[in-house]
Amino acid sequence: MTDKPRSGGCPFHPGTGPVAGRRGLMLGLAGGGALLLPAQAKAQPAPAPLMQSPPGRDAGAAGTALPFYGPHQPGILNPPPAAGLVAAFDVLATTPEELQRLFRLLTGRIAFLMAGGTPPAADPRFPPNDSGILGPVILPDGLTVTLSVGASIFDERFGLQALRPRQLVAMPRFPNDAPDRDWMHGDLLLQICANTPAATLHALRDIIKHMPSLLRLRWKLEGFLPAGLGDASAETPRNLLGFKDGTANLDPADATLMDALVWAGPAQGEPAWAQGGSYQVVRIIRNFVERWDRTPLREQERIFGRRREDGAPLGRSAEHEAFDYADDPDGQRIALDAHIRLANPRTAESANSRILRRPFNYSRGITRAGQLDMGLLFICFQADLRAGFVAVQERLNGEPLEEYIKPTGGGYFFVLPGAAGPDAYLGQGLFPA
Amino acid sequence: MRRRFLLHAVLVAPLLPAARPAFAAAVSPLELAGPIAQYKLYVLDEARQLVERTERFTTAVKAGELARAQALYAATREPYERIEPLAELFSDLDGAIDSRADDHAKAEQDPDFTGFHRIEYGLFHEKSTDGLAPFADKLLADVRELHTRLQDLTTPPDKVVGGAAALIEEVAATKISGEENRYSGTDLSDFQANIDGSKKIVDVLRPLLQRADAALLAQVDGNFGRVNAILARYRTADGFQNYEKLSAADRNGLQAPITALAEDLSRLRGTLGLD
Ligand code: HEM
Repeated sequence: MTDKPRSGGCPFHPGTGPVAGRRGLMLGLAGGGALLLPAQAKAQPAPAPLMQSPPGRDAGAAGTALPFYGPHQPGILNPPPAAGLVAAFDVLATTPEELQRLFRLLTGRIAFLMAGGTPPAADPRFPPNDSGILGPVILPDGLTVTLSVGASIFDERFGLQALRPRQLVAMPRFPNDAPDRDWMHGDLLLQICANTPAATLHALRDIIKHMPSLLRLRWKLEGFLPAGLGDASAETPRNLLGFKDGTANLDPADATLMDALVWAGPAQGEPAWAQGGSYQVVRIIRNFVERWDRTPLREQERIFGRRREDGAPLGRSAEHEAFDYADDPDGQRIALDAHIRLANPRTAESANSRILRRPFNYSRGITRAGQLDMGLLFICFQADLRAGFVAVQERLNGEPLEEYIKPTGGGYFFVLPGAAGPDAYLGQGLFPA
Repeated sequence: MRRRFLLHAVLVAPLLPAARPAFAAAVSPLELAGPIAQYKLYVLDEARQLVERTERFTTAVKAGELARAQALYAATREPYERIEPLAELFSDLDGAIDSRADDHAKAEQDPDFTGFHRIEYGLFHEKSTDGLAPFADKLLADVRELHTRLQDLTTPPDKVVGGAAALIEEVAATKISGEENRYSGTDLSDFQANIDGSKKIVDVLRPLLQRADAALLAQVDGNFGRVNAILARYRTADGFQNYEKLSAADRNGLQAPITALAEDLSRLRGTLGLD
C-alpha cells in the first residue's frame, strides 16, 4: 500500500527533470543567468548595526542575486535574511571520482539557483524541470547556499584522510548536551539562506532532485528571523527568549578581522587546499520557553547580562555602547556568570576566541510532554575551532542559562573555500588537478 | 563543463542530457497494446498465485499453526507486492488487504485494521493465532475478490507504464526504511517483490524503450542489477533475512540506485508518448 499521499502523486518527485534541467544549468552558467529584476547592490548604509533584522519581501529584495564566485563562499558575511535552513547529508558516492562529480554538480546547481532565471520548458508529458514553488521565474531572493563538509568525508572511503582540516572531528558531547543521533553530524552540510522560506525550500528540493544517486538526506532544520519594523536594518533581531541576539558580533565589513578570526588557511596550520574556508559549528539548542516565560524579568536579564527591552548591557544606557568589564570586577552590573560575560570576557587574552555568529530561531512541533519544541539554530564561523567555539563553549559550560536550554544536535563542519569562477568548483582543492 | 560531467559519469547517475532529445518521439498507442496485454497476463498469473498462497497461509492461521503461518507470511504477500500498480486501483480492497496500523485512528486496536498487517501483528507481535480466524477469512475473501476484479479490468496503459515508477516510489517511501512490515521484519521480501514487479513492466516495454531511449533503458537495467546484487546477499533458503540485518553500508548502497531508478522511471510515460 502506498504511503499517505496516495493518488498517483509522487512525494519524491517535486519537479525538475534531469534532461532539460541540466541543459538549462549549462545555459544558465554560460549566460550568467537571465534575471527579470536587476540585482541590487548589497552594500548597507554606513552606521548600520552589525547584525540586522531582515527586510520584508519587496520586488527589490526578491530580485537580489548575491555573488557566488570568489575566494570565500557566500552566506557567511552577508546579514542573515529572514529564512535559513541547514540540511545535512550522507554521501552515497563511493569513489573519489563520484565525489568529485557530486561537488561539480552541486557547484553548478548552486550557481544557477543563486543567479535565478527561467527554467527551460519541458514536454508536459515529462516531469517539469522545476518544482514551480517560486512560479515560472526563479527570483533569487537573496539566496545563498553554503557547502561544508563533516569529518566523516575524510574517512577511508575517498582517500582524503591526509587532507582533513586538522581540527575537524565529529562534534563531541558537552556537559549540558542531550545528543540525539538522528539530528547530528553528516558528510556534507548545506546552509541555505534567503528572504523567504519558499526560496530556501525551492533550492533544497532542486538540489535533492538533481543528485538522486549521490546524496541521502540525514537531517534538516528550518530557521527564521523576525522581520524588523520600518527601517529593518536599524534593529537587531530577537531570539525566542525575547532578547536581541547578535548585538555584539564580529564586524563582517572588517576584512582584517575576518582574515584573523573567520577565514582558515595555512596560517592556522591547515592544509593548503583549505585556504579561504572556515570552521562552521551548528548547534540545535532547544529553549524551555514555557519555563522561561515563568521567570522574573530581572532574573532573565541577569542571566544574559543585557536588558530585554533594548538590548543595552546592564548598567549601561545603549545597546551598542562600547564597554568592557574592567570597571566591574565583582559583577556588580553584569554578573560574573552572565551569558555575555562568559561568552566574551572582553579581555586581551580572550580576544582571539571571538566568533562570527549567524543564528536563526527554529520551531518544530511539540515534545511528548506537550511543551513547545523551539529554540536556537545556533551557527557560528571561526578560523580556529579550538580557539573559537570550543573555548567559548567551555567558558559557558555550567552557565545559569543552562536551566533553560538543551543542545540536542548539530555538528562540526568545514566550509569549503569559494569557487573562484565558472571554471572552478567547490571542493576542487581536494582532488588532484 | 558538461564534457567533464560526461567523463566522470558513473552508471548509477540518472541520464545525462546529451543522450536524449528533450521532446521524445512518441511511440504510437497501437504499439502499446501488445505489451499491455502481456502485462495483464502476468498480473492475472500473479493474482492467481496470490489466491493460492493466501489459501495455504490462512489455513495455517486458522489451524493455529503459528510457526507455519509465520513462515508463510512473507511469501504470501509477494504476488500482491509485485502487482500493486493494478491491485491498488481498487482502493477499498487495497485498504482492506494491505493497510498499516498507522492508517487507522485506533492503530492496532482499530476494528477497520484488517488484512496482511493485522495478521502480521498477531503472528509476530502477539505471537499467537488467537482471534485471527475472522481476519484470515476476510483476507482470503478479499484476495479472491481482487482476482475477479482484475480479470474484468480494462488495463489502463498509463497505470501500467507509470506503475514501474510507482513501485519504486513505494520502495523509496517505506520499504527502504523497513517500516511496512514492522512486526515481522520481512521488508526485504516486499522490497524484492516491488523491484521484480517494476522490472517486469520495463521488460514488457523493452522493445519500445530500446527504440525510444536505449540509453535510459541501459541506465535503468544497470540500477536494477545493482539493487538485485545487494538484495541477493540477504537471501536465505526460503526468503530473506530480517530487515534489521541490512547493514548501514548496504542501506546506503540501495538508496543510490533506488533514487536514480525513481528519477529515471518517472520519465517512462513521457518517453513512450503517454499523457
Ligand atoms: C539558546 C542558546 C543561546 C541563546 C538564547 C543566546 C543568546 C544570546 C544573547 C541574547 C546574547 C546577547 C546579545 C548579543 O550580544 O548578541 C548573546 C551573546 C553571545 N552569545 Fe549567545 N546565546 C545562546 C548560545 C550561545 C552559544 C552556544 C554560544 C557559543 C558557544 C554563544 C556565544 C555568544 C557570544 C560570543 C555572544 C556575544 C558576547 C559579547 O561579545 O559580548 N551563545 N547570546
